[in-house]
Amino acid sequence: MDLFLQTLVNGILIGGILICLTIGFQLTFGVLHVIDFAVGGWTMLGGYTAYWLVTLAGIDPFISIFLVFALFLLIGRGLGPLIYHVRTSRYARPDLMALAFTFGIFLFMRGGALWLWSYNSRSVDSVLSGQFLSLGPITIPLMRLSAFLMALLFSLGLFILLYRSRFGMAVRALAQNHDHAGLMGVDVKRVSAWVYGIYTALTASAGVLIATIYSVNPSVGVRYTLFAFFVAVLAGLGSVGGVLVAGLALGLLEAYVATYIGARYSLLIVFGTLYLTLLVAPKGVLGRGI
Amino acid sequence: MSHKFSRRKFLRNSLLGTGAMTLGFPALKVNAEEHKIRVGVVTSLSGANRFGGNLTRRGYDLWAEEINKLGGIEIEGKRYPVEMFYGDAQSRPASGADAAERLIIQDEVDVLFGPYTSGVTLAVQPISQKYRVPMISGSAESPNVWLAKPAFNFGMIPAVDLTTDKSMVVLAENLGDRAKTASVIGVDEPFSKETAEGFRKGVEESGLDLLSYELFPAGSDLSAIVSKLKSSNPDIVAVGGHEDVFINFVNTAKALNYKPKALIMHYGVTSAAFIKETGSESNGILGVSVWTEGLPYKDELFGTASDYSDLSFSRWGTRPDYTEAACSASGLVLQDAARRLGKAPPWDQGTRAELAKAIEDTDIETFYGPVGFAKEGSHFHNNTKPVPAVVQIKSGDVVPVAPENASKGELVYPIPGST
Amino acid sequence: MASKPVLTPKLIVRTLLIGAIVIALAVLPTFIDSYTLRIATGALMWAGLACAWNIVGGYAGYISFGHSAFFGIGAYTTAILMQSDFGASFFVTLLPAIILSIAVAVAIGGPTMRLRGAYFAIATWAFAEMLMQLVTVLDFTGGTAGLSLPAYLNEFFFYYLMLFAATASFVGVWLLIERSRFGFRIKALRDDEPAAESLGIRTNLVKVQSFALSAAITALFGSIYAYWTTYIDPYSVMGPEITDQMVVMVLLGGLGTVWGPALGGVLLWITNRYIWSTFGDTVIYLPILGVIIALVVLFLPNGLISLFMGRRRGRELISRILGKL
Repeated sequence: MDLFLQTLVNGILIGGILICLTIGFQLTFGVLHVIDFAVGGWTMLGGYTAYWLVTLAGIDPFISIFLVFALFLLIGRGLGPLIYHVRTSRYARPDLMALAFTFGIFLFMRGGALWLWSYNSRSVDSVLSGQFLSLGPITIPLMRLSAFLMALLFSLGLFILLYRSRFGMAVRALAQNHDHAGLMGVDVKRVSAWVYGIYTALTASAGVLIATIYSVNPSVGVRYTLFAFFVAVLAGLGSVGGVLVAGLALGLLEAYVATYIGARYSLLIVFGTLYLTLLVAPKGVLGRGI
Repeated sequence: MSHKFSRRKFLRNSLLGTGAMTLGFPALKVNAEEHKIRVGVVTSLSGANRFGGNLTRRGYDLWAEEINKLGGIEIEGKRYPVEMFYGDAQSRPASGADAAERLIIQDEVDVLFGPYTSGVTLAVQPISQKYRVPMISGSAESPNVWLAKPAFNFGMIPAVDLTTDKSMVVLAENLGDRAKTASVIGVDEPFSKETAEGFRKGVEESGLDLLSYELFPAGSDLSAIVSKLKSSNPDIVAVGGHEDVFINFVNTAKALNYKPKALIMHYGVTSAAFIKETGSESNGILGVSVWTEGLPYKDELFGTASDYSDLSFSRWGTRPDYTEAACSASGLVLQDAARRLGKAPPWDQGTRAELAKAIEDTDIETFYGPVGFAKEGSHFHNNTKPVPAVVQIKSGDVVPVAPENASKGELVYPIPGST
Repeated sequence: MASKPVLTPKLIVRTLLIGAIVIALAVLPTFIDSYTLRIATGALMWAGLACAWNIVGGYAGYISFGHSAFFGIGAYTTAILMQSDFGASFFVTLLPAIILSIAVAVAIGGPTMRLRGAYFAIATWAFAEMLMQLVTVLDFTGGTAGLSLPAYLNEFFFYYLMLFAATASFVGVWLLIERSRFGFRIKALRDDEPAAESLGIRTNLVKVQSFALSAAITALFGSIYAYWTTYIDPYSVMGPEITDQMVVMVLLGGLGTVWGPALGGVLLWITNRYIWSTFGDTVIYLPILGVIIALVVLFLPNGLISLFMGRRRGRELISRILGKL
């Protein structure tokens, strides 16, 4: 029974990590209709930034996360117009071209990180590393709990931004129809660039906590891209609320399979379930966009 | 519009130019110099196993530099310098095969020094056999390499199934009544899985109670594994994997308030990177090593094991681990076999086959320990002589603690602060 | 309008050119050493794989991230049947490899190809990852330790086999897609699926046919590859890197063109090997490749092949595609 409850906690906390990873991605898809291959790359770069800040300047990840957020907001804002250009260009398949473009960016990030920092895994240390909370027989790692709280905070923040601000109204208008939003006086280009900036900022900040929980090396990105894609399609591409449900569901599935069936089969069952779910419910569990 | 046209033309021409250069390049052959022994190194200088690949290169290079200081390998009273050539396997079996063929055909090497990983070794092996180029492998540790009975490949490090089970038995004997149960976990990937299987065999041989044996895919979240171990709390936990898995295991276990009474891992524990990344958490962790600098072995070129360690430290800035030592010792094997062969280079195919025979008959003492290759059985051409030592990390230092003859300190058990 | 199947001077020139290339490739082995031949063999393989991916990705407009699954099916079928338990000879294993890949493609193609765009891409990726995990946990596949095949080290054999397979793939694709009704159906599907359906094209059938064709060619190269390298493991024949390379080669060469994938595959592979053998242990080619891909997308969306097609042809093609939108 203790193990069962502990597994429940483990699963929910893995779910929190998956939600952090996916929530920004979901926003760009919902609004810009771009499948960003580089999502794992942003996560990795966020982790490395935190690593260098703590190693060289002794700045704890819980402080550097704000710096990372600001830094990547600007980087994403800078890159945004290019993404927008590719996505709205008059090529035969702009959605595919955008995917290829972000694939190139991702390769650049991964290769650059390899070239600069080599293959070694780096641990990122924080005041909360290795700290835990004991509730009877259950242990709750504080780092993972922070990631879970951040997932809730991100979702809440995003909801407020989308539904309680003028900017959010513009974003939602954009999500529904680019042309109409433009006709209604929304500066489509600018809003798109900011949306991309918010996405990179959220994802890189998630990367800070993920690197602190596990460790970071240049090739972690592929796996994070894979999981972000999977959580997103399970949620229904573009559905922010669905991410909460899908993230928790995948986290719990992974934890229970690893504990009770065998860790060896966890990925097999996770990928299999995902594939079958897609066939049965092609629009994801909630099936609604922004 | 005309501007756009010229850009297109420019791009096309530069594209064609690059293509022509690329195709023309392989025609520029390096001329074979006389009176040199040409040694090709195929190893992972990039890709996922780049870290270990570069360790093998350091080991091979150190030997080449030392022997060249003496003027080279002595054959029939004359010295022949060694020239090294490198081929990057990119941590992929197919690239390793490409590299081996390039070294043999274009660089005309007389002998190969083998790859870091077993997968690459398995792909290179047939190429070395095809051109009859003997290969001495200073790293590959998977028993599968030797199952194929490679006629031209020779392995310096005993396969993991031989080392990890012995070390578990040694550990269990040392602990006596203090340890009764054990659990084994490992990453489901080559080498790591075989390491875990070796540990499991050792647990069974030493009469310990095996509480669980579990493999997990590379990169998985370890909270489930750690929670399970915590609820059964075995006396010994053994982990098969590489250093990043160890780092994640140690981090996850700490965050879940679990510290095993004894934690034994294999390769990577003794690496500086692991000790640095885990900090004080590494204290008390056990590892398996087929060689340590404290062992009482020696030879003419490198002196004692500890002399070798000092030499390597002054050359590269870090203490060598057993992979580097085994790679340097590969050169000693070549030296000895070439001397017994007694024929001046360059060697043709027939002579190289004789050289392989000479390597097969190796029976020497080196700073790395005794070297001799099995001539039959499931570990064909594998050097099964070295006996693994159990080492323990004590405040950042790697200390051999078992068996008796290699021991330099007490085995601390249970690890202070364990659950 | 696509060109009509009559002998125009242009067509004759092109046929002669292609003939010259094929003859040059056929006599190439007598002029180069066996290492260079090995690189050439690899280039032919990647050109063929890019051609296979292009059928689904370029012509049908379905981006598959799961083609490594078919490469792996081919490689593993050959490897398993050639183990001593069965002891089949290489050519005997080709048929089961191709049949199995077609069966899998038909089985998953039907339901999966109901998904559009991103959903299809990610579903195929999930399928490929699932299959790789399955191969990893099964026993008869050798698990993560992989399988060794009996070594047949005749470099001429593999060169000519790859040359034959690659030529057959390209000629087959050219005939089928540029010179037959099937080609019109498949392109109609890409350009506007509902419109194609309203014209009486059985889109589901066409989609699955093209997916199966693509899978069969991919599996064929997987089989040859396994026999050629003599050792395979799950990651080396089923890992995402295989698919990534195929996608990048097609994009660089020219999506939805016959010769673009050949150009992309050969060029990228030779460049890769060239940088690798010249600069050794650097990974600088990865970020450079990333930048090149991004630049090609920005400035040459029709791939490198559009440089060779001349200004008018290229513009015609673009306006033709745009006209359909």
